[in-house]
Amino acid sequence: MIGIFRSMYITFATMLRKPVTIQYPNVHRDVPHRDRAFPILLWDENVVEPFCTGCHACERACPVECMTVTMKDNPLHAEGKSERRKIVDEFWIDYGRCMRCNICVEVCNFEAIAMNNTWAGHELSKFDRNDLVLDLDQLLAQHKQGKINEWVAD
Amino acid sequence: MLLDLTYDVGNIWLDSLLGILAVVALMTVSALMLIWLERKISARIQMRLGPMRVGPYGLLQTVADAVKLIGKEDLRPNTADRWVFELAPFAVFVPTFLGFIAIPFTRDWAIAFLDLGVFYVVAVTGLSFVGFLMAGWASDNKYALLGGIRAAAQLISYEVPMVLALVAVSMVAGSLNLTEIVIFQGHIPLFVWQPLAFFIFIVAALAELERQPFDIPTAESEVVGGPFIEYSGIRWSMFFLASYTGLLIYSLLGAIVFLGGWGWPLGEEAGLWLQILLTFAKTSLLVVFFMWVRFTFVRLRIDQLMSYCWKVLIPLAFLQIFLNGLVLVYGWPDGILLLTSGAGLALAMYIIYRAVDTTPREVRMVPARGGGASSVPVSVDATGAE
Amino acid sequence: MVQEQELESVDINVNMGPQHPSTHGVFRMVLTIDGERVMDVEPHIGYMHRGGEKLSENMDYRGGIGYQDRTDYLAQFMNEQAYCMAVERLLEIEVPERAEYIRVILCELNRVTSHFMFLGAFGIDLGYFGTSFTYGFREREFIQDVFEEVTGERLMYGYFRPGGVVWDVPENFVQRVREVLPGAKRGLDDLDMLMTRNEIVAARTKGIGAMSLEDSINWGLSGPMLRAAGSDWDLRKDKPYSIYDRFDFDIPVGSYGDVYDRYLVRLEEARQSIRIVEQAIDQLPDGPIMPEKMPRRLRGPEAEVYAAVEGARGEYGIYLVSKGGDKPYRLKIRSPSFCNLSALRAMTIGNYVADAVAILGSIDIVLCDVDR
Repeated sequence: MIGIFRSMYITFATMLRKPVTIQYPNVHRDVPHRDRAFPILLWDENVVEPFCTGCHACERACPVECMTVTMKDNPLHAEGKSERRKIVDEFWIDYGRCMRCNICVEVCNFEAIAMNNTWAGHELSKFDRNDLVLDLDQLLAQHKQGKINEWVAD
Repeated sequence: MLLDLTYDVGNIWLDSLLGILAVVALMTVSALMLIWLERKISARIQMRLGPMRVGPYGLLQTVADAVKLIGKEDLRPNTADRWVFELAPFAVFVPTFLGFIAIPFTRDWAIAFLDLGVFYVVAVTGLSFVGFLMAGWASDNKYALLGGIRAAAQLISYEVPMVLALVAVSMVAGSLNLTEIVIFQGHIPLFVWQPLAFFIFIVAALAELERQPFDIPTAESEVVGGPFIEYSGIRWSMFFLASYTGLLIYSLLGAIVFLGGWGWPLGEEAGLWLQILLTFAKTSLLVVFFMWVRFTFVRLRIDQLMSYCWKVLIPLAFLQIFLNGLVLVYGWPDGILLLTSGAGLALAMYIIYRAVDTTPREVRMVPARGGGASSVPVSVDATGAE
Repeated sequence: MVQEQELESVDINVNMGPQHPSTHGVFRMVLTIDGERVMDVEPHIGYMHRGGEKLSENMDYRGGIGYQDRTDYLAQFMNEQAYCMAVERLLEIEVPERAEYIRVILCELNRVTSHFMFLGAFGIDLGYFGTSFTYGFREREFIQDVFEEVTGERLMYGYFRPGGVVWDVPENFVQRVREVLPGAKRGLDDLDMLMTRNEIVAARTKGIGAMSLEDSINWGLSGPMLRAAGSDWDLRKDKPYSIYDRFDFDIPVGSYGDVYDRYLVRLEEARQSIRIVEQAIDQLPDGPIMPEKMPRRLRGPEAEVYAAVEGARGEYGIYLVSKGGDKPYRLKIRSPSFCNLSALRAMTIGNYVADAVAILGSIDIVLCDVDR
């Protein structure tokens, strides 16, 4: 009988403990600093263009081949406003294939891509699977609006 | 039947009808509240929150569930036996509701004050096993069949100890009339005199309700749902409601017979509202106890369950009746009842203790460093040669 | 003369199908039962097969880490450790001290989380309506918060790389680990008090599904199942890898090899893992986390290499065949759940249906590991 009483004691004791549940849609937990949601591109505000030059390094390194990149000659370089000779023309990431392994961030030479560490990176549900393929404007949108936290990893 | 709060209608048919409607309405609302209470208690035991969004603290959650279930499609497998399939939920639900007719909530409130109260309640609530068999057979599904057969075996078997425990109590109280049993308990409730019968009643009630540790027919993790596996919508909710109504009726029965009902400790002359409060408090105690036990124990296997009933509970129940008989025939004082029954309960605990080998098994701890050679008999070195 | 005629009875086939609350994933068992006894078990696997070993042939040595998380998804760091050890053995890379310590701390904490998950799911299989599950998961979530602060992900970490780890731990790592350890001990004590001496649990699990030591070795079991049967074979002790030979810990060994012993062995193992983490976190040195001379592209010689770790479920091994180049020619995963599952039929025949569920729960399989 001892075991039965022990079990009943522990279930009674846990009735008195405070639950740690957070009721999600009303309350959002703080995501940690290094949170690694989907990749987004970064926008250079001094020179009004993306950091990304379209060098294909991340596209080649991606283990699941979820990115497609094309580059073009930078018109701002011809005008002398920017030091980047080439700039990204089109950039697609398929969030449905991405496995968030962070390798694209590691191989980027220009620190142009980073992992989204805000809640917006997690609340990305769409109704149609094709909407998960994001193009350049959508990828740049979040940093353009300034809604990204500082990402410390290099 | 006289209601202090309403007027006497005069016509006996209308009287009974009003009473029955009142009880039906009350019991439906209670079943809804019991479902909410169970979800909240289970959530607290499991260190989480339970329903919180629908209504304040989730009080309207059951109403939302009921609305959802009513709106569901009424499925029936094509090869199922049509009438048996459709009537099975009612065969489970109706007997439990019929049991409420004999239960006295206070001194003056009951639908009928039957002289054979205990007999009637047990006989009628025991009819519900037919519904399980019907559901299990008619669903044309092997899981349902397994669950239905297990349910029938369990429910029939555990009727016997419950009846015997209640018979033992009735012997001491001298009558089967529930009101007289409550009056008999004037100053000392019956669980003091008959702890063994109380224990047997609790265990048998858990088995009759098919709650953990006796819920093998509807085992969630094996035969997902047992006999109810093919039901959906309002038919399934009838089974569910029947389960909670059964919980209420067994708790009421236990409160009246063992805990003193509306009488103890204030006696017969207490006011109406105090009597209602007492009945409510004692029933709630038993309900919360049943719910606490549900989330604390794993389920017993069907053969262990059956052997526990036939080899442990029934002999103990007979022992209790025999000891009661001895005390009553020889006219010994009431204290002897406590001694004998207490000794019987101690015997029951001892049997449980010895039936299962619970000596805590120790695992041998081998230190990782300097522990010597491992005990795998075949030795393989790094190159794979033996 | 009265002739006896036996009642003709037919064994029925019950399909515990791919969708079932207690088969731990998409696993199909076809039981042939006679009344309540199981006469035959036929497991059907392959519902989660994703061709992982073939996919890994297209990923270079750094990208292949991502797939290793997704085989045994409850003990991910140990899978990554096995893969990194195989690649390091192939390319002869030395791992710095700090990276080794970080790896050991994370692996052992991962073992604790995996065993919490087992203890929770085991209670569910036996019949709890959710009690043991939340007890296990509450403390597991706090440990996963530490993992999220270190790596950024809650489940698919991708943190180890051949040569070390990808970035250094945050400054408050030591303090955070020390914060979660008392909670983990308390969670294990709660589960202990709930299940270990409970008579009903004992009646359901003692003597069920027993495997003798010789049978266990013949079937190729490893991990807690082998240790419950009586052998003290543990790769951390018998073929020490990484820096496990610097820590003091015990290995729990059972004696009967039944379901109850496996439960006890895993409970004690989690406690010993906490002990290892306490020692390692005290000794954590400073230093680099990747070797200085790390080539940018990892090209391997023509060689074959096998590296195995003691995972939470048994011996997880990676057999790597390389024919030059930066991608493996063949990557074979020796998964512990697959080998442990092969003994299911031998253990289940003759027991009841309810016991079949308990035995399957005690093997502690992860379907992605069985099917890769």
